[in-house]
Amino acid sequence: MKANPKDVLTGVYYIDGDVASGYGALAAGCKFVAGYPITPSTEAFEAVCHRGPQVGAVFIQMEDELGSISAVMGAAWAGVKTMTITSGPGYSLMQETIGFGAMLEIPFVLLNIQRGGPSTGVPTKTGQADMMQSRWGAHGDYEVIAISPDSPQEMFDYTIKAFNLAERYRCPVMIMSDECVGHMTEKVVIPEADKIEIEARRMYNGPASEYMPFKPDPDLVPKMARAGAGLNLYITGLVHDEKGHPVKSANYKSAHVRRLVDKIRLNKDKIIELKEDGTDGADVIVVSYGISSRVAVKGVEIARQKGIKVGTLRLVTVWPFPDERIAELAQTTKAFVVPEINYGQVVFDVARCTHGKANVVLVPHGGAGVHNPSDVADAIEFAAKHESPLEGVHEFKTRLEKSVFEGGLKLKE
Amino acid sequence: MNPIINILDKGIEQSGVDRKTISIPSDIPFPPDAVKTLRIDYFQTPRGRAIAFGTGLKLGNPALKVIPIVGDLMTLGGNHFVHGARRNMEILVLCINNFVYKKIAGKPLTSANPEFSAYSTFEEPFNFPHLGNSCGAVYTARWTALHTKELATSVAEALSKRGLSMIEILAPGPNYYRTIDGVNSDILQFYFDNSIIKNNEDPRNVAITPEEKIVVGTFTDRERPTFIDSYNLQHKKILGDKFTPHGAAPTERGGKDG
Repeated sequence: MKANPKDVLTGVYYIDGDVASGYGALAAGCKFVAGYPITPSTEAFEAVCHRGPQVGAVFIQMEDELGSISAVMGAAWAGVKTMTITSGPGYSLMQETIGFGAMLEIPFVLLNIQRGGPSTGVPTKTGQADMMQSRWGAHGDYEVIAISPDSPQEMFDYTIKAFNLAERYRCPVMIMSDECVGHMTEKVVIPEADKIEIEARRMYNGPASEYMPFKPDPDLVPKMARAGAGLNLYITGLVHDEKGHPVKSANYKSAHVRRLVDKIRLNKDKIIELKEDGTDGADVIVVSYGISSRVAVKGVEIARQKGIKVGTLRLVTVWPFPDERIAELAQTTKAFVVPEINYGQVVFDVARCTHGKANVVLVPHGGAGVHNPSDVADAIEFAAKHESPLEGVHEFKTRLEKSVFEGGLKLKE
Repeated sequence: MNPIINILDKGIEQSGVDRKTISIPSDIPFPPDAVKTLRIDYFQTPRGRAIAFGTGLKLGNPALKVIPIVGDLMTLGGNHFVHGARRNMEILVLCINNFVYKKIAGKPLTSANPEFSAYSTFEEPFNFPHLGNSCGAVYTARWTALHTKELATSVAEALSKRGLSMIEILAPGPNYYRTIDGVNSDILQFYFDNSIIKNNEDPRNVAITPEEKIVVGTFTDRERPTFIDSYNLQHKKILGDKFTPHGAAPTERGGKDG
């Protein structure tokens, strides 16, 4: 299905990533946005509040993030495409209801413009330390999809993709961007509506008496319905059967929660998007996502000038994780270098997938800034020259870390 | 039948509202068999989020009649009520006040009556009608669960209101109360007998205290522009013809075939 021309602000713009994401949401057919402004995501909410009413999308500034995400859940059951926008502390507040969304298989998009944490952290500066929270934030077993764009253009394109994935798999989809990309202003081309493919909600159109809200199609995803259609919906966050009625037995619990997990895991080949360059025959592969992949480009360039065979693998989709591809590359490469703006999150999944076949080097950054490309280059050089196996994840000492800690924090005897 | 479901059933019948359009987000779990008799759409939300979830339902499809049901755990999510009333979101909030959350055996909650907690409680209870009235609700009422006729009429009246209505229902059911000396074993009857109907009473005077009779009745009934009214007015004023007022219902079911 093509986008509605009324929703698409076709043209060439010079805008930041936040605004581009807001425009992407409208283009994807989002008709309800609830949020509570929080730096550095506010511009995205402002963009929706500004353009939304002109294209028939309604917005509300809720009393807090708990309210925002709950309203988004309600609006999804009212039958519209929905999104909420947040950062840092707001994202933490939303976690319980994200789990509720996963349990009720509510299609919605959450834009998280990551900032420096923990707690209030550095609101105006960047971070990539919510990655594991996006995966494991709520209690219980569930799977989500997380995408990490690295430019304003991608913020537009991948916001549309996020909506499409949410509708196709009826699950929470997180756009895990960061302050740098959110506030980065670049050229953004918004194409004509007929060039934008959007996924319609997978609605039930059979007889009302036969509707089972959680009876899956062959791809494990059930059909959605809307409130007010005379279907007498009974929808609960308790473990439920296909009718939606609560059940307590271990059998049902396994069957239900297993499907929530497997509808993503078994479809992951269709979900995962990676961008690879020169990975075949590379001695070192840089695995990165979001703003760190933009910074890594320069680091890779420096290392290549030194004659090192470096490939890059960009995780456009961070969750579900490309286990098989990493395992495959681990057979042929010496080491993976993972720059991320945290003290080790996605790097541990890279290490898990190498099965000890390749070294894994983390290039950490505490946040409130991005990596120095020379550090990425040095880490690549270190990884290329290091022949013996490194225990676990090796943390590379960057210039910043050295200057701040002079060799690292030590426990005093 | 569950007394609350019974009252809702009567009230909805009396209001003449098409049941198909009614959605009930509730943070109190009602069993499917009880809900089925209402022939409405039911959503059990996370604790304390029924009002916020209902706000989304209403804005997602303004044709819906939304009745969030919250426990006296309005402790959790009370802010959604305060702001729902302020912005006059068109929903009917039913606050089921049983004074105590029985599963935590008499812990003092914000609405708990001092008389009926294990070692009594030193915390002041909420006066819900006053809270609703002062925040801007267009309709506030309180009844005990045994005032079935009055409650049904209140539900019907509230469903016809444009804006946030709230009805506090005193339904102290738990067996817990029966163990307290000096409290009548039939606690529902106890509250009914100790209540006094004072319609149009100033909500400031209806706080529940152990010394006085419980004031029940309809306290607030007024008109104010709803959130959607104000939303439409403001955007129409600024955007003119570029703005299509929010309020048209989405087409029935619709979406991709299947």
